[in-house]
Order: sequence, then structure tokens, then C-alpha cells
Amino acid sequence: MRDAFIAVLGKPEGIILFQLIEATQFTIYLSLIAFIGGGLIGALITLMRITKSKALRRIAVSYIWLFQSTPLLMMLFLTGLGVPRLLDIDVNPWTAAVVSLVIYSSAYLSDVWRGAVESIPKGQWEGAEALGLRFIPTLRLVIIPQALRIALAPTVGFMVQIIKGTSLAYIIGFHDLMAIGKRWANAPVDGSEPFIIFPIMALIYFALCYPLTLWSRHLEKRLGTIKEEVAPAPVAA
Amino acid sequence: MELRFFEIYRNPDYLWLLAEGVGKSAGLTLAGAVLGFILAVGLALARYENIPVLKWVAAAWVDFIRNTPLIVQLFFVAFGLPMLLGYVWPFWAHAVLALTINFSAYFAEILRAGFQTVDKGQKEAAMALGVGKMTRFVKIVLPQSIAQMFASLNSQFIFLFLTTGVISEIGVRDLTFAGLYIDSRTFRSFEVAITLTVLYILISLAFKGLMQVVETRAFRWKDAK
Repeated sequence: MRDAFIAVLGKPEGIILFQLIEATQFTIYLSLIAFIGGGLIGALITLMRITKSKALRRIAVSYIWLFQSTPLLMMLFLTGLGVPRLLDIDVNPWTAAVVSLVIYSSAYLSDVWRGAVESIPKGQWEGAEALGLRFIPTLRLVIIPQALRIALAPTVGFMVQIIKGTSLAYIIGFHDLMAIGKRWANAPVDGSEPFIIFPIMALIYFALCYPLTLWSRHLEKRLGTIKEEVAPAPVAA
Repeated sequence: MELRFFEIYRNPDYLWLLAEGVGKSAGLTLAGAVLGFILAVGLALARYENIPVLKWVAAAWVDFIRNTPLIVQLFFVAFGLPMLLGYVWPFWAHAVLALTINFSAYFAEILRAGFQTVDKGQKEAAMALGVGKMTRFVKIVLPQSIAQMFASLNSQFIFLFLTTGVISEIGVRDLTFAGLYIDSRTFRSFEVAITLTVLYILISLAFKGLMQVVETRAFRWKDAK
């Protein structure tokens, strides 16, 4: 692979592009893990948010508020530097990045999903109760199938925020597209000037994110979940 | 394991650095947001008025910015552009430019939706009264859209504010920069991170309060029917 790049693009350019694309895989892995982990914890938080227990609801509300208000950079800083120094342990960048991004995504995803669940009319809950369904079966058979329709587009849209969020992980030593690109931009090599490297990196990020944006838009249209005159939800950036 | 917050708080230099950081973070974000908002009005207008070519440029701009990380945009603006065009700016100016570009795309998307909420009949009424295109937009469409979208713009602004810590990466002495500096001197990373997080949350709350004041003052006409 590497040789093919060098053969086509020549010596520094081929190596640079190959290394950037090679490093992109770690951006993708981290994003996927963050999305899956964040989804699982997010689902749990959503569940807590809609139960009848006041204490659980309060915990969920606080969780969402706290981690939506904490900058992702601070979360990385805390897990990658703060906790290791406080407890005098070694935490590798993978673990720190995964923990930060999982918490970050779980807070935003559960907020999206809570909105979707709450938009289901009360009558659906009451109807299910009248049929003798308990909390979990009501969720599984009545609420979730309907909420899924509403939640799908914003969930896919949020994956874009996760991918963009991974670009901060290089600060705690995670080797992804951002880290490798920045190293090249600093290198005194012709063909790796900042005005060449950063646009290439932007294009790679764009190639990862834009299909998801398009997919999310497509879902919005198809599932008819967007009303023309409603404000688009603000997105985490 | 031992929490030693006092190592940060007893040193006046660190406190001063943090105060400076709070000012820089809040000030530069506000500057970027105001300029970004002005740019966003232009971007949204190009699409609303269906101006040929410009509307595609605006759409591409918004999509490209929204689908790339702020930090890559920032590095390009701070290191790429000056090298390419041969200008020298202070760090904070690069930061403001990058934030302006970044914010504009997010605000434009909200404003565009806002323009759609203004009833067509108002446009027709204004035309019937002979109100010019420019006045129609500035006095009729824009204020109502902003009032309608104020809550969205507001929370978008807060979310964007929380990402501005990256400007420390180009040497701007913002809040994150202050934290990293104090950390490099004291090695109290945990305490520093907690302190910064609390400060970021406090600034967000202050911004929210400020926007509430703006909302009650600026949109009085909304209730006067």
C-alpha cells in the first residue's frame, strides 16, 4: 500500500498521504467505540430519566447537565492527566480517550433520546397500561418502536459530532489523524506545509462526516420527523 | 491520593493567570460569535433570497465547516493562511477569525430555518406598501427570525463556547492555556482540570444570564400586540 502511494505521488507526498490515511483508521475506531459505548450508557441514562423513581430521574438529569456543560477538552484532560496524577497510576491514551468520548456521547445521546421518548403522546403510555403492560414491555413494544423513528436522524447526525470530537484526543497523546497531521505540519519538509496538510486533513474529516450528515438529512425527510418550521436542534460542536 | 487545591489558589500569579484566561475566553468567544453572526446573516440571506452562485457558495461553506473539526480549521487559519498569504497577526486575531468562520456556519443553519418561519403574507404586505427589499429584510424578516430562534441560537452559542478551549493550542492565553501552564508548574492536573471545568460552567451560566437580559430587553415588541 505504502509503496503504491509513493509510486503515484512521489517521495514526501506519497508517504504523507499514506500516513494520514493510515492514522485515520484510529479516528474511525475511536469514533465507533465512543458511539457504541456512549449509546449503551446513554440508553441507560435515558431509561433512568423516564422511570417513575424521582431519585433516578434526578441522577439522570444531573448527569446530562454536568457532562453537557463540561468541555470535552477538560474531560480528556481530566481522564488523561488529572486522574492518573491524582491516583498515581498509568492510564494509556486509548483508555482516557475512550472514557472521555463515551461519557461525552452518552450525555448528548440520552438527551436526544429523552426528547424522542417524551414526544410520544401520553395516551400511548396510558393505553399500554390499560392493556396491563408493565414498564419494560410498554417501552419495548409501544414506546421504543415509535421513538426510534424520531430519534434516528439526530442520532446519526450526532455521529458527526463524535468524529469531530475525536480530533481533540491528540492532546493527551492519542495517535489519530489529527496527531499525525499536526506532526507533519510541523516538519520542515517540502509538501507538508500547514496550508497543504490542514486542508487535506479537513477533507479526510469531511469525507468521514459528510456521508453521515447526508444520511441524517435523508432520514429526516423519509421518516418525516422534521417539521419545516421548527428550529433545528443546536448541535454540540 | 491527596487533593491539594490550595497549591493553585494560594499563588497570586496563578489566580491572575486564571482571571486573564476567563477574560480572554469569554471576550474572544463573544467577538467570534458577534462577527460569526453577522457572517451567518449573509450566508442565510444568500440562500433565502435564492441569489445565484452565492447560494451555492453559502451552502458549501456551511456544510464544509459543520463537517470538519474546529481545531483543523483553527490550525489552517493560524498557520496555513498566514504562510500562504504572507501576513503576520497576533494569536488572538487568528483565534477570532477561526471562531468567526466556525460559528457562522452553525448560526447560519439556525437563521435559515428562522427566515422560513416569517409568514409570506408579511412580505407581500410590505411589497404592497412599497417597502424596499433591504428594509423588508432588515426591519421585518430579520428581527422576527432572531426572536423566533433566540433560544436555539443561545444554546448553540453555549455549546460552541465549550469548544473554544482549543485556541490555547495556537498560543492564545485563554482559560485552557492558563490551566495547562499552571499544570506544568504544579503537576496538580486533577485540581486544575476541576477548577477549569467549574470556571467554564460559570462562564456559560453568565452568558445564559446575559442572553436572558438581552432577550427581555430586545424583544419587548413581541408581546405588544
